[in-house]
Amino acid sequence: MTDSWHIDTALLSDYEEGTLSPSRVMAVEAHMLACAGCRTRVPVDYTWLTGNFSVIYDNVHAPRVGPLQRLLTRLGLPEHRLRLLTATPALRWSWLAATAAVLGLAVAVSWLDWSGAAAMSTVFLALAPILPVATVATAYGPSADPMREITGTTPAAGPALVLWRAVAVVGVAVVMAAVAGLLLPGPGWFAAAWLLPALLLCTGTLALATSLSLPVAAGTLGGLWLTGLYAVVRVVRDDVFVPLVFGPPAQFGYLAAAAAAAAVLTLRRRRFDLGESR
Amino acid sequence: MTGLLGPNGAGKSTLLRCLATALGPDAGSIRVHGFDPAVPAQRTEVRRRIGYLPQNPGLYPHFTAYDLLDYVAVLKEMTDTQRRRAEVRRVLDEVELTDRAKTKVRKLSGGMRQRLGLAQALLGDPELVILDEPTVGLDPEQRMSFRALISRIGERRTVLLSTHQTEDVGALCERVVVMSGGRVVFEGGPKELAGVAEGQVWLSESPPVRNTAYWRNADGLYRTVGPRPDGAEATRPSIEDGYLLLLGTAVATGAVR
Repeated sequence: MTDSWHIDTALLSDYEEGTLSPSRVMAVEAHMLACAGCRTRVPVDYTWLTGNFSVIYDNVHAPRVGPLQRLLTRLGLPEHRLRLLTATPALRWSWLAATAAVLGLAVAVSWLDWSGAAAMSTVFLALAPILPVATVATAYGPSADPMREITGTTPAAGPALVLWRAVAVVGVAVVMAAVAGLLLPGPGWFAAAWLLPALLLCTGTLALATSLSLPVAAGTLGGLWLTGLYAVVRVVRDDVFVPLVFGPPAQFGYLAAAAAAAAVLTLRRRRFDLGESR
Repeated sequence: MTGLLGPNGAGKSTLLRCLATALGPDAGSIRVHGFDPAVPAQRTEVRRRIGYLPQNPGLYPHFTAYDLLDYVAVLKEMTDTQRRRAEVRRVLDEVELTDRAKTKVRKLSGGMRQRLGLAQALLGDPELVILDEPTVGLDPEQRMSFRALISRIGERRTVLLSTHQTEDVGALCERVVVMSGGRVVFEGGPKELAGVAEGQVWLSESPPVRNTAYWRNADGLYRTVGPRPDGAEATRPSIEDGYLLLLGTAVATGAVR
C-alpha cells in the first residue's frame, strides 16, 4: 500500500486542520506509521509535543494522591503544604510510634480489672500529654531524618516548617489519645483532661526549642512533668491526685502557662532553625 | 569552579557546612552573596541562593528519584505545582536521570545516587553550588562521568567543591584552596599549586639515600619530592607534588612511601 498510494496535499491539509472524520484520521495515521515519506511531510509542533510529553511524564511519575490527601485538599490545605507533611518519612515513624503507644495503653487497660484500670487511667492521664511532645521530638534529629542536612539548609527550614510538622504529628497524636481516653474506664472528661497539659508541653517544648535542640527541649519538659507528678503523688492521697492535677484550677493554670509559652514562641520564632546545629 | 583541597580533618566539610548554613561558626564571620548566615533573616536569603550536596546526603531510600526531587523542591519554596514539576524534569534532564525518574533511590547505582544528590542541589538554579566530597566512593568510570557533569554545571554557576583527590582539582577547578588544620595554607590556580614544588621533584634510577619521601613510578624510576637525591634529574611537578609539599607530608620522614 505504501508503494502505490501516498497522502495527497488536500488530505494532509484536512488532517492538519482536524476536519477529517475519525475513521479517516485513523487511516491516515495508520499509513503514516508505515510510510516514512508521508510522516516527514507532517510539520512537527515541538511546543505542543513537549507540553504533552511533560503532562504524560508528570502523570506517570508524580506521587500518587491518597484519599486522606484528597480530603485535606478539599478542606483547603494547599498541595505543596500537603506534600511537605505527607512526604516526610520521619513523621511516618512518629505517627507509628504514637499509634503503638496509644494502642498499647488501650490493650493494657482492657486486661486489667476495675481497680487496675482506674490506676491505669491515672497513668494514662499522666502519660498522654507526653505523647504529642514525644512524637514531635522524634520527628527530628539525624536518626529520624537522614536527609536532615539537605532539608535543614533549604529556605523552608525555618519556624514555619517546624510548626507545620509539629501540627501534623500533634494532630494525629491528639486524635488517637482522645479516642483512647474515651475508651478508658472512668469519668467522660478523662478524654479531654490531658489536652491542656499536652498543649502546654507542646508549646513549651517549641518555645524552649528556640534555645535548645528540639529533643533536649522535649526531654526536659517531659521529665519536669513526670517529676512534678511523682512529687504530687508522694504528698497527696490517691483520691485527691486526679482532681488536684487535672481539676478546673489546674486546667486554668495549664492554659495560662500555654498562652505564655505561645507568646515566647511567637517572639522568638526566628530562632527556630532545623539546619543550624545548636 | 573552586576546589577545596585538604587531608581528612582539615576542616573542609566544616567550612562547607558553615557556608551551607548547616552549622553556625564558633568564631569569625561569613558572607555568602553579601548575606550573613548568622542572622536568621539573612540565612534564608543565603539558602535561596545555594544548592548543597553534603558528604552523606542520606537520600530517602524508598523514595523514587522524582518524588525525592519534588519533595526538596517544595522545601525550596516552589509552591506552584506545574512550575515545580517542570523544574524537577529540568534537573533530572541535567543530570541525565530522566529515564530513572520512577526508580527508587535504593535501586540506583552509587553514581546515579550521587547524580540525584546533585540534581536536588540544582533545584531552583542556585547561584552557588556547594559539593562536599562528591566523588568519594565512585569507581573510576563513575567518577569520570560525574566530573564531566560537574564541569558542565560549573560553566554557568559558581561551584565550590571539596575533595582530597588532587586529580579532581586538576581536572575541574580554575582555583584551588588548600586547607590544613582548619586554616587556609594556599590559594591560587592549579598550576601555581604545582609550582610550589618547582625544583623540588626528582627522578632517579635508585632510591634516594637520604631519609626523604619517595615512591617508585610505573617506569621503574624513583620520584622524590624534597631535596635533590644524588644523581637525580629534575622533573615537572604535579599538583599532587605541590600539595604534598605544602602540607609538609613530602618531607616528613617516610610519610609518603
